[in-house]
Amino acid sequence: MAHADSAVPKKNRAARFAVLFPFDWDSVQHISAEPVPYHLKKWWFCLGGTPMYLFVVQVVTGIALTFYYVPSPDHAYASVAAITQHVRFGWFIRSLHKWSSNLMIVAVFLHMLRVYFTGAYRHPRQLNWLFGFGLLGTTLAFGFTGYSLVYEQLSYWGATVATNLMEAIPLVGPYVAYFMRGGPEVGEQTLTRFFILHIGVLPTVIVVLLALHIVMVRLHGVAEFTFPGDNITEENRFFRFWPEHATTEILIGVLLMYILTILSLIFPAHLGSQANPTVTPEHIKPEWYFYFNFRLLKLTSLNISVVLTLCIGLIALFWPFVETWLQKKFRLPDKASVIIGVVAFMGFLILTVWESFAN
Amino acid sequence: MKLSKGEMMTRRKWLASALMGGGLLLSYGALAVQGLLYVLPEQVKSKTRKLFAGQLSDFHEGKVKALFDLQGNQILVKRQADDLKAYSTVCPHLGCRVQWVESDKQFFCPCHRGVFREDGVAIGGPPADAGQRLAEVPLEVDRAAGVVYIEVKDIKRRS
Repeated sequence: MAHADSAVPKKNRAARFAVLFPFDWDSVQHISAEPVPYHLKKWWFCLGGTPMYLFVVQVVTGIALTFYYVPSPDHAYASVAAITQHVRFGWFIRSLHKWSSNLMIVAVFLHMLRVYFTGAYRHPRQLNWLFGFGLLGTTLAFGFTGYSLVYEQLSYWGATVATNLMEAIPLVGPYVAYFMRGGPEVGEQTLTRFFILHIGVLPTVIVVLLALHIVMVRLHGVAEFTFPGDNITEENRFFRFWPEHATTEILIGVLLMYILTILSLIFPAHLGSQANPTVTPEHIKPEWYFYFNFRLLKLTSLNISVVLTLCIGLIALFWPFVETWLQKKFRLPDKASVIIGVVAFMGFLILTVWESFAN
Repeated sequence: MKLSKGEMMTRRKWLASALMGGGLLLSYGALAVQGLLYVLPEQVKSKTRKLFAGQLSDFHEGKVKALFDLQGNQILVKRQADDLKAYSTVCPHLGCRVQWVESDKQFFCPCHRGVFREDGVAIGGPPADAGQRLAEVPLEVDRAAGVVYIEVKDIKRRS
């Protein structure tokens, strides 16, 4: 009986491999050959890829850190200290991880601002705004859980304040807080929970959301913009993903590695004193991306600040739908979103800067 | 569109799929509930124990004395005339540790600048806005023996 591959000449290795691995490579080429709109020739419209690139850096450096990190209250701080002081290049890996997380949050914010102010979240792309917002939430959760793993004074008390804060969320708050802490107060269980959230649960969530996010971009196509002075013809309206756009992304990646290295060399990750559950330090502060909330806590009462944050978050999450509703109800012009966005962002910025200068 | 006899939903078919679907839903639902209980640890009421806090004569009129519970957390005992009160140092706002500032005769929380009077009532910062006060720790005075006890959370012991 003749085999199916008997027709393939023995010398042709590629063809023989194709028999062993019968995959349709043309379909990959077809899927990846996404037409890229003209405006993406400008690199500042390519910021969506930046958080993803940084996420890859986080995965690699994060796995490297887990080789030495011990998630128990007795050993966590000492293991971080060992990574920082004794492990070869440990300080560098840790600094890369820290700086990449900070840049990732900045990159997500910048990408969101771009999408918001260009109106790219509008019909029919509302769903992808939701997925993107989910990615923002996951990124912030990564930052919070990761920072707490260091188990230094500031991160320990940050975790205490934050989990107590969650308790003030209406209805589900007490359960969420209890789940996060693994008991009525921050203790032995908490660190293990934060660890598994940080390295198991959140990575799964972010990969699923990222896949959905990118599939949606691909299905709808990138929103097209034209600017005065653009000379767009039928021929140059789109350009190829490979190699033109891919080159831009690779260059951004190289630039990011450069920035990360410089930051890690000049400002290596710092290690404060070990967590002491019996003494709260004089000056406590969360990471900068929670400053706005911290300032809000000082300005208003606990319940008001939690409910306010929750409301703003929900409005932002469902903004594409809220805007449509406002437009129908109050004949809100399209441009109103720009003013609302500027006000909201300035509010965030003012609270953040205010908190960073306060002691 | 007319369905053929094979495609029609008969009572028997409906019952079969309802039982099948309901069964799946119930069994996986039960599994999900168990899973949820698994990640939410059991709430065990922690045991307390009485701790010798000192001789009554160690507590001076109008002064605040710092004691430690079994976890090493500060507990502050204040004597006003013959009345002794013990206060927990857990801030009622968000759980930070307050400190006794002797010069101001006040408790101070460094997290959100909460200030408490020496009787535990909040007079500044978010806890004051919320009308909160420091929690009292149960305290017992054996006047005959002139001894003071406080009741604190017991530490977990390995048996």
